[in-house]
Order: sequence, then structure tokens, then C-alpha cells
Amino acid sequence: MHVSISDLSFSYPGTKEYIVSDFSLHMKEGEILSILGESGSGKSTILRLLAGLEEPVKGTVRVGDKVFCDHGNVVLPVEKRGIGMVFQDYALFPHMTVEANITFGLKRWRRRARKERLEEMLALIGMEEYKKRYPFELSGGQQQRIALARALAPNPSLLLLDEPFSNLDAHLQHRIRAELRETIKQTGTTTLFVTHDQEDARVLADRVVMVEKGTVQKAGRPSEVFKDTWNEKLLEV
Amino acid sequence: MKFKHIRPTTTSGWGAAAVFLVAILILPTLFLLVRVFQPASENWDHIREFMLKDYFVDTISIAVWTGLFSVAVGTTLAWLVSAYDFPFRKTLKWALLLPLAIPPYIGAYTYHGILDYTGVVQMTLRNTFGLELSQAYFDIMHIPGAVFIFTIFLYPYVYAITRAFFASQATSLIESARVLGSGPVQTFFRVVLPVSRAAIVAGVSLVVLEVLNDYGVVSYFGIQTFSTAIFQTWFSFGDIDAAIKLAGILMAIVMFILLLEKFLRGRRKFSYSTTKVKPLKPVRLYGWKKAVVVGYTGSVFLLGFVIPVVQLLYWAALTFDYIFTKEFVSYIWNSTFVASVSAAAIVVIAILVANYTRMAKGIVPAVTARLTILGYSIPGAVIAVGVISFFIFLDEQLMTMLGASSSLVLSTSVVMLLFAYVIRFMAIGYNSIESGFEKVGMKFTEASRTLGMGWTETFFKVDVKLIRPAIFSGFILVFVDILKELPLTLILRPFNFETLSTMAYRYANDEMIQEAAVASLFIVMVSGIAMYLFHTFIEKEPN
Repeated sequence: MHVSISDLSFSYPGTKEYIVSDFSLHMKEGEILSILGESGSGKSTILRLLAGLEEPVKGTVRVGDKVFCDHGNVVLPVEKRGIGMVFQDYALFPHMTVEANITFGLKRWRRRARKERLEEMLALIGMEEYKKRYPFELSGGQQQRIALARALAPNPSLLLLDEPFSNLDAHLQHRIRAELRETIKQTGTTTLFVTHDQEDARVLADRVVMVEKGTVQKAGRPSEVFKDTWNEKLLEV
Repeated sequence: MKFKHIRPTTTSGWGAAAVFLVAILILPTLFLLVRVFQPASENWDHIREFMLKDYFVDTISIAVWTGLFSVAVGTTLAWLVSAYDFPFRKTLKWALLLPLAIPPYIGAYTYHGILDYTGVVQMTLRNTFGLELSQAYFDIMHIPGAVFIFTIFLYPYVYAITRAFFASQATSLIESARVLGSGPVQTFFRVVLPVSRAAIVAGVSLVVLEVLNDYGVVSYFGIQTFSTAIFQTWFSFGDIDAAIKLAGILMAIVMFILLLEKFLRGRRKFSYSTTKVKPLKPVRLYGWKKAVVVGYTGSVFLLGFVIPVVQLLYWAALTFDYIFTKEFVSYIWNSTFVASVSAAAIVVIAILVANYTRMAKGIVPAVTARLTILGYSIPGAVIAVGVISFFIFLDEQLMTMLGASSSLVLSTSVVMLLFAYVIRFMAIGYNSIESGFEKVGMKFTEASRTLGMGWTETFFKVDVKLIRPAIFSGFILVFVDILKELPLTLILRPFNFETLSTMAYRYANDEMIQEAAVASLFIVMVSGIAMYLFHTFIEKEPN
């Protein structure tokens, strides 16, 4: 779904320093966009603002025909937004099986539809035989795929990923990056993910936004955005 | 060539000392265990036939109902305070712990006084509204009344542990449920309660153990539980053997509860996130929701703290002049003396044992660590019976050894009481010291060793200094608990030795409720201040 963010700003109550300031962004339907920045750049806060886990000081967020917030006023609370989010530590419910985790967001669906959706999701991530397992019985990479399936199951208008690879071993990251892009593209979900790793952004994203101190520094296709930084790096060497 | 161990072993000086100390602590309990199976007396047959069932039913029903209500009150309060923003939330967050500063027996007689014929409630109804209602409406001296008293003063155990759990572990799960479209009520029942099961079980088992330990409330209300029965058989019938048998049964109930706790905590180990946790962002409440939440949390605080304290203050003001005498000062001194000596002993033993169990590996240190904290689950009545029969036994041995004429030396001295305190409250000191060691880790100790310092030197120059905050907090926690303690003090104190808690209890028991207020208030104030200090200093200490 089409996403439009304008002038989004955030500061912690009682402080004057903006964590995010006048952040604006437009996304096309089905686009995968990466917000790239160091830790403390405000990139995770942007994600939490879109999810509705934080309240903006000002700014407007529209996803499709839904208004999330309007000039700083929260219009839709988090549980009504219909977005998907993959948390950094996955946040799989430890007391529920894979099956129960994936169908958690489908409570209003008919039983039949729910079952079909579950199978569809499991097939999408290639983990059909794992549905009776508990999260702690899965490897890190498998947990991440379940978290993705859980987020995608309710057909979210927007998918948010918070540092999706930070909890994975380095040798897994390469394989999973390509896989993840493949999976998301299959569903055609508009996706926004934050990372501190250029490589993540280069492989996964259609477009990259570099963020520093809560504002956009640079934006464009990965090859364009990284061209300069590469040159800089080469000069340094 | 002589080989020196890198780690202390059970045969090294440190290890041997630790194991020896813990062995002494569990001796009285072992002593009981042996004597439980001795042939029964006539009294025992009578008790078994006519009274045992009542003891059992009363004890279990109070424990079960208090457990259930504490879970209901404790978890809902923890959830509301963690997940929502409403007026007074910041204050209530720690103020809701304060009922723990009022020992249930003090709460019991205070509420009885409030609701009594001459109490404030009935007086107001009579004099202002001209209402004279049946006394039955105001009677709380029955099992439901005891359940109310225990719940309102002990729920903070559940509240504190579950709130800490929500804050440290459950945030991303709760957010995740919200993002997936789950509303507040659904999130609470489908995610929050199940994932915090282990924390809730831990809290509620503390509550139940406190209930089983209690003697003051049930004896004041005239309810027959195992605690009151043990004391009665002992003092009224003078039958130690029957008392020991009852203590054995009570211990069996405690063991059952501990096993149940293990089982309910679940075998599955949930692996929680290791990433840095953000505190849950509270959702602001408006309108009737805000009113209901403020009303609910506020009334729990009023019932559990404000109302009893205001009543105590009023009574204390009435009686202060003739109660606060030289004698009263000696009670304060006695309380302070027994509490600080035992707390110091506990802290020293705890440091020795904790240092040994963290360094040494194997089954002996692991078992030692478990046994050290065993005492806290043993009800006061059981410890009292165990310690007293153990000390009488020691005295008998002493007499035959010295060939002296019959006189009880140890069993009439304050040493017996101090020993019992150490057994009962060891766990509190130990847990504090152990977590102190855990926070510090092994790296400083190891660095010191590589720099050429020996075991003992490292212990005094590095280890002990690093855990100073833990030593301090362990001491304070134990001190306050001993100040509040009733059953052990009541029974094991030397003749004519009164403390604040025994005075409060004795006045109340003699229907001199107003006179009991000064001593009670003293205890409540010291506990309250200690809790406040903990909240402001210790809780905010960065890990």
C-alpha cells in the first residue's frame, strides 16, 4: 500500500532534543525501503512511531487510505493499524506453538480461512513440518522466519522490520538476506526496515534512506547512495 | 610437590567452614525429622481423631483463598501500573508495595478495632446517622476475614515480582501482541498472564508460605490452624511430642507447596530476549476507564496502608504519653539488639557460604546453596519446635558432660532466639549477597588472583568490597523482617524479654488495642522507611 509520512517529529516528554525531526518519506506500493543509520540516529524510533508504539510530537502518517496520525494527533491506536512488525528479538510468544504464534493476529478470521492462511504462510517460509514446535526449539534463523510469517499472516498494509539480521550469525546473514527479499516480494507487501549495515540495505532494499540525528541525509537507489561513501572509503585507504 | 587447588574445595578452610555452618543451621530441622516418627502420646490420638481435620481444612482454605485473591489483586495492579498512564501512577507504583510494611497481625487487630462496636465505623453510623446494625456485619474474626487481612497485606509479593517481570522481560511480547491487533484485555489474558506464569507462581508461593508461617492473625481471630495448634499442644498440653508431629505435618504441606511451585513454573524454559529492553510505553487513559482504574488502585492502597496507618496514628496519639515510658525504650532496644545481632550473623554467614558456592563446583556446593535458603520456607512454629527441642537436648548433653545439677542454660538464653532468627531469615540475606556476587561476576576476583593475591587476600581486599551494596541491603532487609517477626519471638524469647512486636501483640490480645498502636507504628514506620530507601536508591542503581 502507498505510504506517506510528512514532518514526523519525536522527542521524549520533558526534553527539547528531537530524536526524530521533520522526517518525510513517500513509498510506492510493494516497495522495499531501508532506513540506514548508526545507533542513536533515531531510525528505530521512526519504526516505533509508524507502528504506533510511540506518540509523535507532530507529523502526519498515511498508509493506503488510512490516516495513522494527523498533525501529531494519534488517530488510530496500534492494534487498529493493521501493520506487520518483526521485532529485533522476534518476540515470538514463548508459551505458544509456531501455529498459535502465526495465527495470533487472525482471531477474527473464519476457522477455515485461518487454517488455509497458516498453511500458506508455512509454505511461504518453507517450514510446514514445524507448526507444532515451540519457539525455543527453533534455531535463530527459523525463529526469524516464523516472526516474518506471523507479521505477514494478517495481510498487513505495511511491514516493518527492526534490525532483522542483528540476532543472526554472520554466515547465516548472507543466505537469509536474499531469502527474505524473495519472500517479501512474493507477497508484494510494502516494507520498511531499519538497519545499521550497508550490506543489508544494498542487498534487500529497492531504495535507501540514510538517517542521521532523526533527519534524512541522503536518499535514493542503493547503488546511487553508496557510490559516494564507497569513494570516500577508497580515498581513506 | 604439594598442589594447591585453584578453586576452594570442600576440604579447604573456606569450604569446610561454609559446609559446617550450613550443617548447624539444618540440624534442628533434622532433629525434628527424627523425632516425628517416635511413638505417639495419648494427646496425639485425641488430636488425630478430633482436631486434625479442622486444622487441615482451616489452614488449607485460608492459604488457597489468600493465594487466589493475591494473584488477582497483584497481577491486575502490576499490569495497570505498567501498561497504563493515569493520575497518581508514579506514586502508586511504589506506594502499592507499602502494605508489606504492615505485618498482618498488626493489620488484623487494627481492622478489628476499626470495625468494632466502639470503632470509628460503627460510632459514625450510630452517632451521625443513627444506624445500629447487627454486629455480624462488622465481624471479621473468621476465615474470610483472615483471607482479607492476608490478601491486602501480602499481595505486594505478587505485585512486586510480576511488575519487575513485565518491565524486564515482557515488553516486546506485549508490543508484539498489540501490533498484531490484540486489545488490552485480550493481551492481558492471552499473553501477559501466561508468559509471566513463573513470576506469578514465585510471588504467590511467598504469600502462601507467609500465611502458613503466620501465628498472630489466626490466633487473634481464634482460628484453628496448624500454627496455633502447634503452640497450643505445646503450651496448654505441655506435649512436645504431639507438637512435633503437628509440625511434621505442616512441613509436609510446605514441601508439597514447594513441589507444586516447581511443577507450576513449568519444565519448559522460556528463552527471553537478551537485547536491551525498553520499558513498556504506558497508554494514557481517559474518561470512565481512568476513573475506574484510579478508583481500584487507589482503594487497594487505602485499604492496605492509609486506613490502618491513620487509625494507628490516632490511637498512638491517644496513648503515647503513658505508653512511651522507660520500659518502652527498653523494648526498642531489645528489638534493635536481636535484629542487628542476627542480621550481622546472617550477613557474615551468607558471605562465607555464597563466596564458597560461587567458586567451588560440584554437588556439595550446589546442595549447600539449596540448604542455606531452606529455612525461609519453614513456618515459624516448626522452627520454634525444632530449635527448642534441639536446645533442650544440648542442655541435657551439657549437664551430663559437666555433671552439673539440672539447670537449663542454653534453652533459656537469648541465644536460642537468635539462632532461630538466623535459620528463618538466612535466605533473605543469602539471596541478596548472592545476587551481589552475580552482578560483579568473577572477573575482578580472577584479575586479583593473576596479580598474585591469594584466596583469602582477594576475599577481603576485592570480593567483600565490591559487594558492599549487597551486604548493606541484605542487612537492612533481614533487620526489618526480624523487627516484624512474631511467632519465633513470642515463643523463644527468654522470660520477661519483650520486643516491639511481642508488646504490640500482647496488648492487642488483652483487648488493649489502642495501647498496642505505638509499638505497631514503630514497626510500620521503620519498615516503610526501609522500603522507601530501597525503592529510591537500590532500585535505581544501574546494573
